[in-house]
Amino acid sequence: MNEELDSQLSAMFDDELPSAECELLARRLSRDEQLKARWGRYAVMGAVIRAERGVRLNAPLAGRISAVLLAEPALIGRSSAPLRVGGMRWWQPLAATGLAAGVAAVSVLWLRSQSALPGSTPLSAQLAPAPRALPVAAVVPAAINGGSNISYVLPRAPSSAPLVVPSTELANYVVAHSMFSSPVARRNLLSAFMTSEGGTPGAEEAPQDALSAK
Amino acid sequence: MPSARNSASALGLALTWALTAPAFAEPPAGDSAGAAPAQWLERMNRALTTRNYDGIFSHWHGGRVEMLRIIHRVQDGTVSERLASLDGSGREFVRTGASLACYLPDKRTVLVEQRPPEQSLVGFPTVNDQTADFYEIRDMGKSRLNRRDTHVISVAPRDEYRYGYRLWIDESTAMPLKTELCDTHGRVIEQIVFASLTLPARIPDSAFKPEVATTGFQWLRDDAAPQPSSTALAWTAMRLPPGFRMTVRSAQVLPGSPGPVDHLVFTDGFASVSVFVERATGAASPQPPQQAAVGSSSAFSTVIDGHKITAVGEVPPATVQFIATQVKAQEASAPHP
Repeated sequence: MNEELDSQLSAMFDDELPSAECELLARRLSRDEQLKARWGRYAVMGAVIRAERGVRLNAPLAGRISAVLLAEPALIGRSSAPLRVGGMRWWQPLAATGLAAGVAAVSVLWLRSQSALPGSTPLSAQLAPAPRALPVAAVVPAAINGGSNISYVLPRAPSSAPLVVPSTELANYVVAHSMFSSPVARRNLLSAFMTSEGGTPGAEEAPQDALSAK
Repeated sequence: MPSARNSASALGLALTWALTAPAFAEPPAGDSAGAAPAQWLERMNRALTTRNYDGIFSHWHGGRVEMLRIIHRVQDGTVSERLASLDGSGREFVRTGASLACYLPDKRTVLVEQRPPEQSLVGFPTVNDQTADFYEIRDMGKSRLNRRDTHVISVAPRDEYRYGYRLWIDESTAMPLKTELCDTHGRVIEQIVFASLTLPARIPDSAFKPEVATTGFQWLRDDAAPQPSSTALAWTAMRLPPGFRMTVRSAQVLPGSPGPVDHLVFTDGFASVSVFVERATGAASPQPPQQAAVGSSSAFSTVIDGHKITAVGEVPPATVQFIATQVKAQEASAPHP
């Protein structure tokens, strides 16, 4: 049963599901919480893959599903509320992503690759690793670095790859630092911290230990 | 068929919005359509720091995509914020006024820190001529982002000491719906894209209660009152990367830390780096310098004059290393006991 559903969801995302089945599945999506959760996972994974391929989703398919969802009375009520106050569920992991407002929400958020902007980097380039090596070093006296015609050389970058481990101590530093970051930088920093690899439960080093090194 | 393996590369997301109520439109500074890039940044900053919002967004870095939820409320002058990982570590960060709590279920630990009221979140710095020496700020024009009209602003670094941003700012609300962190070559190294975002007029207190069950967790608090300085020395950076200057010098107690920590903050107007100075333990066996990364942010720790110096910031690794190794002690004008 699950395999069949997986297959149908996958086919739907690939625009390979016959129209009639597509509509049936969409109706079921509107009622079945577990299926919504599956949809959410596909939504993210599918989006990722399509972004990789640079593929834009098939608009007619999106339109068909959108029409079905919009026709569901139970959905219209929810979706038409522009701003929801309170009642936030905090929560349902990934499913909530595509779904809290997702399938149930109006307009069928439809998956698509990010639109390219003039001057923006192609996805293939985005996926390229960030440069590590920087030229060799020298410094600029702090007292003069407000000048506009400063000549300087960059310091040598660390030779090894950074570790990705937030120890308790590093967590302290990150949280303390975040209070002095700009709002956007702060959100990036804390988000990265929230999603970074954790250590083994119970294996935390003493708080006063040096930066994590696992 | 989509696979988890394939999901670890890039990101596109479905968006659903509830941003359209006119009452929630950000008042533009003059003609918003013709606003200068700096004005867009200021509007965005104001929106991020003064609005109520509740959103779910994806965070992409290093081939990984994870979903998070953020709830932000400003009520009676008090800022409350909650950020939680929805499908990864389960970590949560909750701020209520001056109280910060970081729930780390993977470490069965909760960090609780009290900030002095005056040390609230800083605003997005005003762009000035000096900033322009180190960043090129450009208006990339309008773009539709999942059926929302956005204005795209590029903040490109002029050297490799700092990162840049591309920001898709909602024209109506000034909320950044998509953020790309870029290296000096414009390559995207971190990305945040909102999947849903609402701007509720009111958010209940219950929204800021963590879901993490903390039974049996270790609670680390900064119970001791902050002291003026951790040492009788005044720490400063002898040299800095171009454009950086020290803006904050304070002492604080970090959760679980045995003593006060000197905290210095350096900024170039966009990026900031914190340097923490504390007495080194285990001086008999000095540790080599260490580095770490949190997403695209960097950390570097070394020992100088018997003190551990740790620099953390949303800058490249070379920059935190540069600053950390330039921190030196000077005699304080008024030594503290």
